[in-house]
Amino acid sequence: MGSRIEILNEAGFRSDGRRQYELRDLTIDLSRHGEADGSALISHGLTQVLVSVHGPREAKMRSHTFHDRANINVEVVVASFSTGERRKRMRGDKRVLEFASTIKSTFEPVVKTSLYPRSQIDIYVQVLQQDGSTLQACINATTLALINAGIPMNDFVCAVTGGVHSTSPMLDLSTLEENDIPHVTVAVMPKTKKVVLVTMETRLHVERFEEILNLARDAGKILHQEMKEAVLSRASSLVAMGEPITKGQKADDDVIMD
Amino acid sequence: STISKAESSYIQVGLCSDPALRPDGRALTDFRAVSLETGTAPLANGSARLSIGRNPHDGSGGTEVLAATKLEVETIEDGGEDKGRVVCTVTCSPAAYPQLSNNALEDLQHDLTTIVHTTLSHPSLHPENLKIIPGKKSWLLNLDLVILSDAGNVYDALFMAARAALYDTKVPRTRFVEYKAKKRGPAGGAGEGMDVDDTATEGTSGFDTRQRKHAMDFELLDYWDEGEPLDGRQRWPLCVTLNLVPGAHFLDATLVEEAVAAVRVLVIYAFEAPHVPVVQGMRMLGPGEVTSSQLKTLLKDAEAHARNIFAGLDAKLKEEDVRRNQKASESFEQR
Repeated sequence: MGSRIEILNEAGFRSDGRRQYELRDLTIDLSRHGEADGSALISHGLTQVLVSVHGPREAKMRSHTFHDRANINVEVVVASFSTGERRKRMRGDKRVLEFASTIKSTFEPVVKTSLYPRSQIDIYVQVLQQDGSTLQACINATTLALINAGIPMNDFVCAVTGGVHSTSPMLDLSTLEENDIPHVTVAVMPKTKKVVLVTMETRLHVERFEEILNLARDAGKILHQEMKEAVLSRASSLVAMGEPITKGQKADDDVIMD
Repeated sequence: STISKAESSYIQVGLCSDPALRPDGRALTDFRAVSLETGTAPLANGSARLSIGRNPHDGSGGTEVLAATKLEVETIEDGGEDKGRVVCTVTCSPAAYPQLSNNALEDLQHDLTTIVHTTLSHPSLHPENLKIIPGKKSWLLNLDLVILSDAGNVYDALFMAARAALYDTKVPRTRFVEYKAKKRGPAGGAGEGMDVDDTATEGTSGFDTRQRKHAMDFELLDYWDEGEPLDGRQRWPLCVTLNLVPGAHFLDATLVEEAVAAVRVLVIYAFEAPHVPVVQGMRMLGPGEVTSSQLKTLLKDAEAHARNIFAGLDAKLKEEDVRRNQKASESFEQR
């Protein structure tokens, strides 16, 4: 590779052609996957995550239940071919377990678990492709899957990654940017404006930190709009499917037999 | 899955009757709709996403398998072989088997991996173009299969997805790069103060007149070229699962139908040339028994079924090839 890749050039463009605060292409697919109660397939650019939710249902292990609320169980599987370099992750991989426990602690205060004592809510996260901001994608997909499953929550949880390149803050980082600049993942509840998760593994100057935190909260609101729209369109298509068809009116998949 | 005796008997009576009746109205040898897309993982060298019996309207249900191949360079010291290696792994997503515990899931993964790996890594199927530098480096081809959901007939789905991903795989073209030590001399500017690698001349005596190749490394011919197709892409086998009930066999069983079949016979067929069928593997699953004369007829039937599946899959793979390569270059030229 010849030229050096600039994280942010003088014209204000990033390495993939985006502007500083621009988020990647977001696609949300809420169609039902397998036998899950709720599922969501989300992609932020090239990062793709599929989350399936089963529950609330009877717990597999009685010892893991609580008498007054539901137990949330999160399992994360990262596909070996998800990154540029093949990396086989065993089930008990510490990194993956930490990931799962981060997601669990993010959703525990948000899901109304007290409505389902002694039961279990299983969240299965399957990371299909990784191009940066994996945790962001997992949290957004989990929110949508839980909503799709009809599990009551206090609010949406919208996550976004923010990073700072010398003094310029940026949002929704790709792998190239994540490897280069300090970054933080922030998950917010847009209506109540509360922050549910802040996680950072790099070092960032404290003056930059507040700036990026506020930016990430605003970005969370934008994501909330997109997610709400996706949920509404899914709900309206479900309602439309349930409506009785008047005689003689042809729907998309009907075959007229003589 | 476990079903009650009443339901099991109900389905079995339907399957054994004449004409045979299946819960979803299919004939005994009818497959559910199979959908295939190649190139779903752009970071992999070859990939495919296959689903059997997925509801076309809301995308729910069905058996869904993702397959991806990744090529890694392996040195002989790290366990590689001159001609390269093929390693297959099957992962079951916990979402596909929500009722299984982690240990049961690991066991299932192991069983599926064993069947797929022992069949596909067999020397008779080994592709020719996995060599890089004989004696030093070769390609290790990792085939990863992920089961995203299971609604029955997972073995057929695994082998179909594997074949599609392997068909789609491109191996980067490489060439040797030879390093030769510069000759020290009064005219050579490199002589002073510069360390020239002398290992090329170490250990050789003046009497050694052999021409020794010093190819130490390789380079990619073209960084942006994906490469040539993996050799033997027509040879990869397909699996036909014959589910047996007394007096009949049926294909593409759903989960409840699988619970009804006393024994399942997996026959893995490869077609080297259009009319030369080769059995690459065979397994029997379940507590039932099969007589050897029954087995003979089953093998013949399986061959006929395998031909049909091959024809269908190949047609789709060629269509996908056209969609991704030809059409892409056509739309590029039109810009």
